[in-house]
Order: sequence, then structure tokens, then C-alpha cells
Amino acid sequence: MSDSTAIRRGEPLLRLAAVHKRFGTHEVLSGIDLRVSAGEVVAIIGPSGSGKSTLLRCINQLEPPTEGRVLLGGVAVEAGQELSRAELTQLRRSVGMVFQSFNLFPHLTVLRNVSLAQERVIGRSRKEADAVSMQLLSRVGLADKAQQYPGRCSGGQQQRIAIARALALDPKLMLFDEPTSALDPELGLEVLAVMRELAENGMTMIVVTHEMHFAESVSDRVIVMADGRIIEEGPSAEVMRNPKTERAKRFLQAVNDR
Amino acid sequence: MTELFGFWWEWLPTLLSGLQLSLAVTAVALLFGIPLGLILALGVQSKRAVWHVLSLFIIETGRGAPALILLQFTYFGLPSAGIALSSFVSASLALAWCTGAYTSEIIRAGLDAVPHGQKEAAAAIGLTDWDALYFVILPLALRVSVPPLFGFAILMLQASSLCFAIALPELVSQAYVIGSNTFQYMQILLLAGLLYAVICIPATIAVAALEARLGRHTD
Ligand SMILES: Nc1ncnc2c1ncn2[C@@H]1O[C@H](COP(=O)(O)OP(=O)(O)O)[C@@H](O)[C@H]1O
Ligand SMILES: [Mg+2]
Repeated sequence: MSDSTAIRRGEPLLRLAAVHKRFGTHEVLSGIDLRVSAGEVVAIIGPSGSGKSTLLRCINQLEPPTEGRVLLGGVAVEAGQELSRAELTQLRRSVGMVFQSFNLFPHLTVLRNVSLAQERVIGRSRKEADAVSMQLLSRVGLADKAQQYPGRCSGGQQQRIAIARALALDPKLMLFDEPTSALDPELGLEVLAVMRELAENGMTMIVVTHEMHFAESVSDRVIVMADGRIIEEGPSAEVMRNPKTERAKRFLQAVNDR
Repeated sequence: MTELFGFWWEWLPTLLSGLQLSLAVTAVALLFGIPLGLILALGVQSKRAVWHVLSLFIIETGRGAPALILLQFTYFGLPSAGIALSSFVSASLALAWCTGAYTSEIIRAGLDAVPHGQKEAAAAIGLTDWDALYFVILPLALRVSVPPLFGFAILMLQASSLCFAIALPELVSQAYVIGSNTFQYMQILLLAGLLYAVICIPATIAVAALEARLGRHTD
């Protein structure tokens, strides 16, 4: 599970410094500063279009920031810096990502979905990779689906498989982008249960979510974003019950009224 | 009627040998042309200007020039540049060029049809661009591209009849030779047409069936 660069609980793991992201002239992130310690669970909430997904994508460089710095486990990436393949691979290994729409590979079996990166990225043998994948699938309660194709699984099952796939390279940090938004409430629950288990076992997680109960009960800290900025940040209960800014109040009010 | 069948029976072996050559030249054209189409499809999307321009040039000439001109260019034109090719090699080259140009569009449409989320997921789990292409994007793109590629292959078999213009003794050339020897053009061309139909009609039906099958399992 851990390697020589293992980071102990509570030590700084991720730091964003003055991160900006522009698409053309449209500024989507306007100076994000964020610190996350190992073992922490951070929830990000905020209206749609506020830049939550873009922020997650900047962390694993799916979208390279236009300005600023991302430090992960002691490795810094400056905006504009051309990453070598090895550096990029290292980064992608340390960060697992789960998408709203699962994005499982439909032409590969569930087992192969989880094994592929282990073989191609870290050179495990097929046998080793499949063994690890089976453990991960058991962990998310889906070992019996190993030989099926994702299209045959329910949305909740697909998202749990996607979590297993994201865990396959032993990431230090897991990013979740509205992992339950595409699911019926009951199916969402089984996904949240898996995420809760991960959190309890010390995984560092950043979760963009509209699940206020999850944000409050599982996360240590809540961040509220609006218009590409962090407008409020603090311990979950505090932010959710007594938001300080008017913008955050309005957003939470709107969510609670639904 | 029996007279017609007797005539057909007499010349069928010659036509079949022509058909064999038609199939061979088509097969070679596809064997080299479709991988060329893939390379061109990737090439036009390349950020490197050289690849982009070169791919675009090959595609535009291959699609812009009639196949007949490509055939004459490789057979009559290249020798003046010191490259003399047999009619079979010239025909294969010209038809592969044409195949590459047209199939690059078919393959590009397939690549474009792959949801962006698949590329993102492949990148997020650490696959290199080549691995993402090979293990994720191409298999999904080919599901979209395979039926039109087969459709194109059928058209290519028919287009191979143009090779009569460069003296390749394929099916239509053979039919002409027989016609000019017997003066029974109508009868022999009818038989040649039937031979194309015997291959193309079942192939077309098979492609439609394949299309339905692949469509069913998409996602
Ligand atoms: N690839 C892109 N190109 C251009 N604009 C984008 C791109 N991705 C996101 N945006 C824009 O950035 C803004 C924030 O998007 P996003 O990060 O998805 O917000 P959220 O996840 O909070 O809903 C939106 O206005 C969106 O249209
Ligand atoms: Mg989003």
C-alpha cells in the first residue's frame, strides 16, 4: 500500500498557490490557494459553473493551470512548466480520479478496467494485476462482477468499479467530481458508503458534491466556491450551519430549500 | 438461352481468373490503405505542422483526383521519374492511396465519436497517449468505423475495374478481351456484372448485419 515516500497522517500533502485557469479570455479560476493534509477529507461545494471541476482537473494536470503552482507530496509543478512523461506518470499515479459519469471503458471487462493501468503504468504482470483488482473489487463489494462488462452493471455499481479503478495504483490522493450526481438516491448511497469506508481508512480525499449530509458528516473541512474563487472555508459543521459570507448563505439556503 | 449458358460456361474460367486478380488488387489496396488511413487520420490531428500538412496533402490528392488519374499517374507517370512499376504494383499503389485518403475520413469520424470522458479517464489513470489510443480510443472508434470501412471495401472492389486502363488483366479487362474476340460484348459484360453482384450483394447484407450487431453493444 505504501512506498518509501509514504506521507504520514497530518503532514502536508497538497498545496495550491495562486492557481489561475483561463480558457481563452474566460477566467475560470481566479487565484486558488488551498492546503490539504494527508488523511484529510475536504468537500467542495458551490454553484455550477463556479470552477469546481476545473479545480480538480488542475490538481492532476488534466487541465494545466495558466498561472500558479501545484505542490503534491513535495513535487512542485509550476504553470507553464512542460512535464516529462515520467513526471506526468508519477503525478497520475499519486492521484486517483472519479468522474460524475463514471467513464468506465465499455469494451473492457470490469476486471480489465481495474487491471489495465497496473499493467501498463507500473508494469505489474497480468496475474498480479488481476489479483490486486479482485481485492479492490471485493473492497467495493463487486468481486462477482469481475467478468462482466460495465454496461451490464447499475450506475451505482459502475461508480464503485470506477473507484476501484482509481485506487488501483495506490494513490495518495483521491479526487471525486460529483460522484453521485448521475445516480438515483439509493444507488448514490452505496457509492457514499464506499467513500465513507475509504475516508475512515485514512485516504486523503477532495470531494466535489451536492450531498450536504455527506459533506457535513464525512468531511473534515468544507470549501465553498463561487466565480472561480474560494469564498468560504472551514470545519464542516461551522461552514454549513453558520456561513459568514452572503454568497455562501444564499447558496446553502438554495440547496436546503430543494 | 442454352446458347448463352454455353457461351458463359466456355469463358467462365477466364473471367474467374480476372476476378481473382480484382480481389487480389483490392485486398492489397485495403491491407496497406486502411493502416495508411489511420496514420493520416492521426496525422491531420497532429500538432506538428509537418505531419499535419503532409497528411492533408495525401488526403486531398487521394480524394481530389479521380481514381483513374491516380492509376495512370502511378503506371504512366512514375516511369518518367525513373520508377517503373508493374501494372499490379501500380494499381495497388494507386488504390491504396485512394483507400488511405477516403478511409482517413471514416476513421477520423470514429475517433471523434469516442466520448471525451474516455480520453480523460485514460489520462487520469496514467496511460500514455499511445496506450490510451491503443487500448481505449481505437477499439471504441473502430466500432463506429468498421461498418463504413467494409462498405468502402465493397466500393473498392468495384473501383478496381478501372485497372483495365493500365492493362491489368482483372475481371473487366478480361471481359473486354473476350468481347473483342467474340463480338459478344453484351453477353460477357453481363456475366462479369453477375460475378461482381455475387460478391457485393451478400457482402452488403453482411455489413448491414454487422452494423446492427455493433450498434447494439455500443456502451
Ligand atoms: N474545456 C473548457 N473550455 C472552455 N470553458 C470551460 C472548459 N471547461 C470548463 N469551462 C468553463 O469553466 C467554467 C467552470 O466550469 P466547471 O469547472 O465545470 O464548473 P463546476 O464544476 O463548478 O460546475 C464554466 O463556465 C465552464 O463553461
Ligand atoms: Mg462540475
